[in-house]
Amino acid sequence: MSTDANGDQNIQMWKMKKLIKSLAAARGNGTSMISLILPPRTQLAQTNGMLANEYGTASNIKSRVNRLSVLAAITSTQNRLKLYTKTPPNGLVVFCGTILTDEGKEKKVNIDFEPFKPINTSLYLCDNKFHVEALSELLQADSRFGFIVVDGNGCLFGSLCGSSREVLHQFTVELPKKHGRGGQSAQRFGRIREEKRHNYIRKVAENAVQMFITNDKANVVGLILAGSAEFKNDLIKSDLFDPRLACKVITTVDVSYGGENGFDQAINLSQEHLDNVKFVQEKKLISKYFDEIAQDSGKVVYGVDDTLKALDAGAVETLIVWENLDMARYVLRDSEGSEVERFLTPTQEKDREHFLDKKTGADMDQVSKESMLEWLTEVYKQRGAALEFITDHSSEGSQFVKGFGGIGGTLRWQLDVAQLGDGGDDDLYYDDNDDDDEAYF
Amino acid sequence: MSDNQGNSVDDVAQSASKLTLNASAPTFTPRFNAKAPAFVPRSRAPAPAPAPAAAPTPAAAPAAVPAPVAPVAPAPAPAPAAAPAPAAAPAPAAAAPAPAPVTAKAQPPAPKARPAAPSAEDSANAAEEELLLDEHFKEHLNIIFIGHVDAGKSTLGGNILYLTDMVDKRTMEKYEREAKEAGRESWYLSWALDTNQEERDKGKTVECGRAFFETAKRRYTILDAPGHKNFVPSMLGGAAQADVGVLVISARRGEFETGFERGGQTREHAILAKTSGVRRIIVAINKMDDQTVEWDQGRYNDIVAKLTPFLKKTAGYNPKTDVIFLPISGFTGAGVKNRVGSDCPWYTGPSLLETLDGMQAIDRKINGPLRIPISERYNDMGAIVSGKIESGHIKVNQKVVIMPERRACEVAQILGEGESKEEMAVCGDNVRIKLRGIEEDYIQNGHVLVDAKAQCGSTRAFIAQVKILDTKNILTSGYRSVLHVHTSIEECGMTKLLHKLNDKGQKSRLPPPFVKRGDSAIVRIEVAKLLCVETFKDFPQLGRFTLRDEGKTVAIGKILKLVEMEAPAPAADAN
Repeated sequence: MSTDANGDQNIQMWKMKKLIKSLAAARGNGTSMISLILPPRTQLAQTNGMLANEYGTASNIKSRVNRLSVLAAITSTQNRLKLYTKTPPNGLVVFCGTILTDEGKEKKVNIDFEPFKPINTSLYLCDNKFHVEALSELLQADSRFGFIVVDGNGCLFGSLCGSSREVLHQFTVELPKKHGRGGQSAQRFGRIREEKRHNYIRKVAENAVQMFITNDKANVVGLILAGSAEFKNDLIKSDLFDPRLACKVITTVDVSYGGENGFDQAINLSQEHLDNVKFVQEKKLISKYFDEIAQDSGKVVYGVDDTLKALDAGAVETLIVWENLDMARYVLRDSEGSEVERFLTPTQEKDREHFLDKKTGADMDQVSKESMLEWLTEVYKQRGAALEFITDHSSEGSQFVKGFGGIGGTLRWQLDVAQLGDGGDDDLYYDDNDDDDEAYF
Repeated sequence: MSDNQGNSVDDVAQSASKLTLNASAPTFTPRFNAKAPAFVPRSRAPAPAPAPAAAPTPAAAPAAVPAPVAPVAPAPAPAPAAAPAPAAAPAPAAAAPAPAPVTAKAQPPAPKARPAAPSAEDSANAAEEELLLDEHFKEHLNIIFIGHVDAGKSTLGGNILYLTDMVDKRTMEKYEREAKEAGRESWYLSWALDTNQEERDKGKTVECGRAFFETAKRRYTILDAPGHKNFVPSMLGGAAQADVGVLVISARRGEFETGFERGGQTREHAILAKTSGVRRIIVAINKMDDQTVEWDQGRYNDIVAKLTPFLKKTAGYNPKTDVIFLPISGFTGAGVKNRVGSDCPWYTGPSLLETLDGMQAIDRKINGPLRIPISERYNDMGAIVSGKIESGHIKVNQKVVIMPERRACEVAQILGEGESKEEMAVCGDNVRIKLRGIEEDYIQNGHVLVDAKAQCGSTRAFIAQVKILDTKNILTSGYRSVLHVHTSIEECGMTKLLHKLNDKGQKSRLPPPFVKRGDSAIVRIEVAKLLCVETFKDFPQLGRFTLRDEGKTVAIGKILKLVEMEAPAPAADAN
């Protein structure tokens, strides 16, 4: 992630994610939207031939509107293909068609690009929507790891793939606790306990098969077993545990809790085995950032305003942004003709206050509006920063998003962007000390 | 900061001693305990009760007459509520000033408590109750053995059971033989508490063990906590039920040091015990008979010298009043029941059991509202729950409610320690209760058994003051961890940081963006499921909590306010 190429790839991926989102949402009239995906080393001539055939077939469509739009789409696709002399090394993706915008207007879309890594799908479809599943898969192509977190209270099946961490299934169980009861029934209680535990292991093993085996094959590249007590070891040793899964077990880790917390801890503890997974890289990145804050080094910023100030000053080394940060960058022109830029959240956008010229109180002209994230992807290099997108799936990520507004960065040198909450300053504290004077700790 | 810690520690010591120890009472005398609000619940119980039926006995008549007034007009409540007091309880003079504040507090719960079942019978029983309390002769003490893994907690526990004849000789001999066969000769004592096969195989306690023994003076429940760091959650469940902690320290060269290092369980357990409400601690320096120690006074003093500042500063125990040190050998039994004797000429103090017997009585709220956090439940011809009575008392056939789900049921049977069937049990007892009218499946650990007439608060979110003990770097809002409060364990999220507290305990005006180790802050915490808690002020035992994550204790805290309460929480008596 540290290398430039790698960083670029992350941004590419982010852009593609956005593209896929918008394409997947698009709907068109009739079956006039063409999705064409060519794997590497496809003969373009062949594809052109196929399109010519399609054109012929499509001319026979009865409905005039539909015929015209399909033909138009095929023509645009052909024209797009003419731009390439041969298939690019990673394959080629073309989307052409007329989509309906929110206002009900028709808009022509022609997109062609080379995916950031080789695509292994061949696809030609005319439909009323774009088919982006193959691209989504490409994003998720990171290896998938399975987790079984099992303890005396319940069991959780989870998976980790790319930057997403998913709980597949979770169930709780009530096992007899250690009994302090002696006497005649001591043996019986002991037996009941053993039996219940055995049944529990069986249930876990059976569920594991359901979760991690599809088409008679394990659907994960590795399996991590976690738990607080002996169950995880019992499970591995048990005959009930499917051998197809048993051979996938990478490691077992000791966690203190079951459930989601145990899942998180298991991911943390098995980091060395999951080095290539984006989720883990993300966690590390944010942890490093939090470490800086904890050390009070002064080389961090957070919050939109501070971060952008630091970015303008060229002090930001790594810019960390939540990938779903919903902010827009407005460029406005005030009465004197100079341009002002504003970064606003959707709720702020509704407030007209932000569009008024402070001096005159009049509305400012809007020069442009774009997503802040897109703007960042364009300018980050000029400001000498590295850009990292993160998700809020990890616990660190969620803290970053909720606690720091989803944007922040590490700095090259200390920078004094006015911040509050440093403590020590009496003005920042309420004087009254009424109901909390009892210290119980 | 360190200054502040020092201060708060002192405060703690003071408040703890103020709150909990009745210095004047060397033995257990609930009725003459000046601090105990002797008739709080009685005045409360009749007040909200509709009491439609005429009172069957003349003794209860004064109580029953004013009772119907209370629901109609809460204002005159103080008067009628105070009235039954002298009648129902021939109370000592010290209790006389109590009625006024008590009844004032009793008002809020009234609307909620009103739908409860008719309780004329209850007030009738008041006098009878009093008698039962008198008969309740021996005080019950819950002790928890804590300490680093392999310090000898279970062995010590096993030996106590053996020495007090709770485990018969034949069984012990059998264990000894079996242990010898397994090549683990020195483990046999611990097998009395480690009943599971896996625990015996590894010699490590996994779940909190429980056992019972009795001396001439008191009855005791031993809670044997697991020492391994992965099983701290289980230890916390045990600590929540304990009154006194026995911190077992291994004196063997190297073992003490490992346990005492940062990240060792000696430290963690001591802090957690304090925050779970264990007010006093006996530090048993164990394994004094070991070859590397051989009852060496220097070693003993060395350990005491190292532990004292830690217990004082970090854990918050007052070394003068709350901590007792003594040397023992859990394996040989020296210093456990009998005094150490000739092995150790330099220590002439009492043995462990003598010390426990000599402990000052703990102020029990026998007549407080009934609260039993459920620590275990199982099915044995009916749903059985077990737990320590944190406050109040319980009788057979009493109408009770399982919170937070408000499932009503009835007490069918009360089983004391040692399989005995009891008519009633009081605060401090560790009991098992068979319930009628409820399925076992509806009950979970962490639910709280309360009286139908005085229910407790339940919430999904609360405002709390936390102190951050240990964290990787920083905490911000959105932080997720595991919440331990009394016997329940829930995943929780810190949804908002509200204020940071400075050294003087003042709140910051602005919410802090983050908090880090050593900080105190006021935060909002949310859980997914309804949780039975109360504010720390009202009911400390249900109001203190621990946040843990990744095997570390991240923060301790106390609840200041419950958010979005469904009904006003009854003002429990917090002294």
